[in-house]
Amino acid sequence: MQREAFQKELLQRALKEGFTDCEIYYEATKTFEVLVLEGEISQYETSSQIGICFRGVYQNKMGYAYATALEEDTVNYCLHQAKENAKIIEEAEKEMIFEGSSFYPEMDNYNPALEKLSPKEKMAAAKAMEQGALQEYDQVSIDYCVLRTMEKTIAIANSKGLSLFHRKNGIAASVSTIAQQNGDVKTGSEDWRSNDWSAFSPKEIGRRAGQKAVSHLGAYSLESGEYKVLLENHVAAELLAVFAGVFYGENVQKGFSLLKGKLKEKIASSKVTLKDDGLLEKATGSVPFDSEGVAVRNKVLIENGRLESFLYNLKSAAKDHTTSTGNGFKGSYKDTVKTRCTNLYIQPGGKTPRTLMAQLGEGLLITDITGLHAGANAISGDFSLSAEGFWIERGQIVRSVEQITIGGNFYTMLKSIEEVGNDLKFIAPGANGTMGAPMLMIKRLSVAGI
Amino acid sequence: MLKRSVIENILTAALEQGADFGEIYIEQTEKNTISMVNSKVETALSGKDKGVGIRLFYANQAIYVYTNDLEEKNLIQTAKTAALAMKGNGKENVLDFTNPSKTNYNPIQKMPETISKKEKITLMKSTSEAAFSYSSLISQTRLGYQDIVQEVLIANTRGVWAEDKRVRTRMTVESIASSQTEKQSGYFGPGASMGFELFDKIDMQAVAKDASRMAVTMLKADLCPSKKMSVVIENGFGGVIFHEACGHGLEATAVARNASVFAGKLGQKIASGIVTAIDDGTIKNAWGSANIDDEGTPTRKNLLIENGILKSYLIDTLNGQKMGMASTGSARRESYRYAPTSRMTNTYIAPGTTKPEDIIADTEYGLYAKHMGGGSVDPATGVFNFAVLEGYMIRNGKIAEPVRGATLIGKGNEILMRIDKVGTNLKSAQGMCGSISGAVPTNVGQPMIRVSEITVGGRG
Repeated sequence: MQREAFQKELLQRALKEGFTDCEIYYEATKTFEVLVLEGEISQYETSSQIGICFRGVYQNKMGYAYATALEEDTVNYCLHQAKENAKIIEEAEKEMIFEGSSFYPEMDNYNPALEKLSPKEKMAAAKAMEQGALQEYDQVSIDYCVLRTMEKTIAIANSKGLSLFHRKNGIAASVSTIAQQNGDVKTGSEDWRSNDWSAFSPKEIGRRAGQKAVSHLGAYSLESGEYKVLLENHVAAELLAVFAGVFYGENVQKGFSLLKGKLKEKIASSKVTLKDDGLLEKATGSVPFDSEGVAVRNKVLIENGRLESFLYNLKSAAKDHTTSTGNGFKGSYKDTVKTRCTNLYIQPGGKTPRTLMAQLGEGLLITDITGLHAGANAISGDFSLSAEGFWIERGQIVRSVEQITIGGNFYTMLKSIEEVGNDLKFIAPGANGTMGAPMLMIKRLSVAGI
Repeated sequence: MLKRSVIENILTAALEQGADFGEIYIEQTEKNTISMVNSKVETALSGKDKGVGIRLFYANQAIYVYTNDLEEKNLIQTAKTAALAMKGNGKENVLDFTNPSKTNYNPIQKMPETISKKEKITLMKSTSEAAFSYSSLISQTRLGYQDIVQEVLIANTRGVWAEDKRVRTRMTVESIASSQTEKQSGYFGPGASMGFELFDKIDMQAVAKDASRMAVTMLKADLCPSKKMSVVIENGFGGVIFHEACGHGLEATAVARNASVFAGKLGQKIASGIVTAIDDGTIKNAWGSANIDDEGTPTRKNLLIENGILKSYLIDTLNGQKMGMASTGSARRESYRYAPTSRMTNTYIAPGTTKPEDIIADTEYGLYAKHMGGGSVDPATGVFNFAVLEGYMIRNGKIAEPVRGATLIGKGNEILMRIDKVGTNLKSAQGMCGSISGAVPTNVGQPMIRVSEITVGGRG
């Protein structure tokens, strides 16, 4: 069945079978991916797929079911499962079907030029990425080198007459390199995302990945202790990604955030302004509406250190007697609606990374952290993460550092941000949405090494 | 799931441009998940996902295409698109399928669809209540239930025609203990290749109480000191250290492109002489078991390390071809959305000869990691990190005060050499392992072990 015919059939049947309100979330994805190794295409992948999620209010509660085939069997399956699932829901707060926002922002996230690119052009670009990584340094080999393009269409149609459609496409390029010297092995990677092919410099991405791995050669650990620290922009963004959930209204309500009762209080250094802006141009998290059909906008969460607001979906907003901030998202058609950021970022300040290094004088510059899924506790805010970076003296890099962990607490760290750089960078979107940060100077973090 | 004639037509179309090998993977997966917060059902979700992945080899180059539009016309078109990506001179075109005989390692007693959702949530509620009943310090609980029935059919141009039905059930419990200023959590997630009979075998109330005990203990714990020390790692999920520090580096995914510290080390000593490690996809009803891997090769028991000597890698067909080695039945993928590659199944360090209590008594100062959290590794450098969920200091051969916030970091190849005690109490635990072919269920396991020195990162 075609999408429109299927939607109509499923919505009509649902209303006939006792659902009071219902909705179909439709997602179609096309991807192209090419992996290059030693000048050859080592893997080539393409895909096209669709998925739908039906949700409907049955006996006053929301039931969900998803499927991939637009056929008669799917209609029966969704109605049956959604009813069964609705029956067991016990939460007092009700999820609802939305009638629509009065205004939706215009947003052009689809670049038709990307569709016209041939697989050959994309393969050539991927090979250029690899060359870029290999040509400058003898010690470098490729871990992986991948170029991906994707197109995603989302459509929402519901029994309250709402009908929304949005299509976006993009390029994701990633190179990971291995540098080896005298038995020492280091890796380095570089990513790039956009939907503007003309802004893509594949060789430069490769070169930077190679340069990163090489710059870390000869590293050794550092004496355990407390150090003043600079977090590189992407490192700060990765940390923010883990703890973004503390700003979600639903987590505050359920006691999973220690920000409960802190609204309008100072929770961070006055250098910190935190925004979630879903309208930001050329950012991967920008979208005109969320998965509930609510219009997306720009919100200030922390202004000069003061907590100004939380992020809401329709359900959590109703519980706090406020309106949705347009942050009711689902990861894919296979998920229920939760809260998620669009583009959450720390507003950049005026100082360049070079100035911040000079200001640091002596201390640690962290360039990589790993173990975020295990070494960070999103509830307590505690983190202890494996890290790499550089030791800085008199404002200059003296040597590279490995085999250390940095430990701290997110809530405490917010208060000890002494400087905010001007080099805002967004990282690849994760479970909490797209995150961005500039370089941050932290008064003190605990380091475990030798 | 698809007619044999359709599969033959698809493979024939896929081989049009002279590929050396063609494979079709057809999957249908039904999944039910229920999440419960503070003893109330918050979400319940059911879904059915059906799709096809077609893979072609031109020498060592691989093409993978997947779709969930299962009309024959679209599938043939998809296969032709795949074929067009490259040109080869393969002549193989064997559509003479044999159905390999296989053993059923995962007999199922109570299929998930025969159990009502009401019965499932009743069990979740009693589990949540047990977690709360442990202590008044328990402020919240989060539970997750899931059952998955995955049916796969794999056919290829080397004559394989293999089918499998994988049924898996799991429940996760998280207890959160709160004081005025702090929150700490305890977590367990038992699962198996079983139906609902899993819960006849596991006492979920006891599991919930243990999660609460962990949360309450950690709430009262001091910060772990930061330094190098001896670390005793308990059995069960402690096996994650081997999984991360060594297992990933033994996957042909990394070895074939020389991106592993263990590449080229077959027959060499890579671990302390008391270490023997195994990956076994055939353990009855275990979380990571299956009858065939995701290329249709029967799963088996692979001896990876024997008394410290590297005996075998974990190998899939494509990487095996690059390495000149045969598949070890280790090709896995999350779903049709991923091309398969070599992965772990149920991995463990074999039991040794030292009694656990003797290992503790023999340790003058160090960390006792009773329960580990997750971790990750960079196979190219061997650098790993793990979180310790529940830890204690060891002083003068005795387990002393609890400590929290500890992370273990190091290099896999170095740590393996430093294992100086292996206990007798082998036990496994369940996890989801993420890698390039998606998230797959894996068991990690070990008896208690001691590592003479690891960098412990804490905040104390």
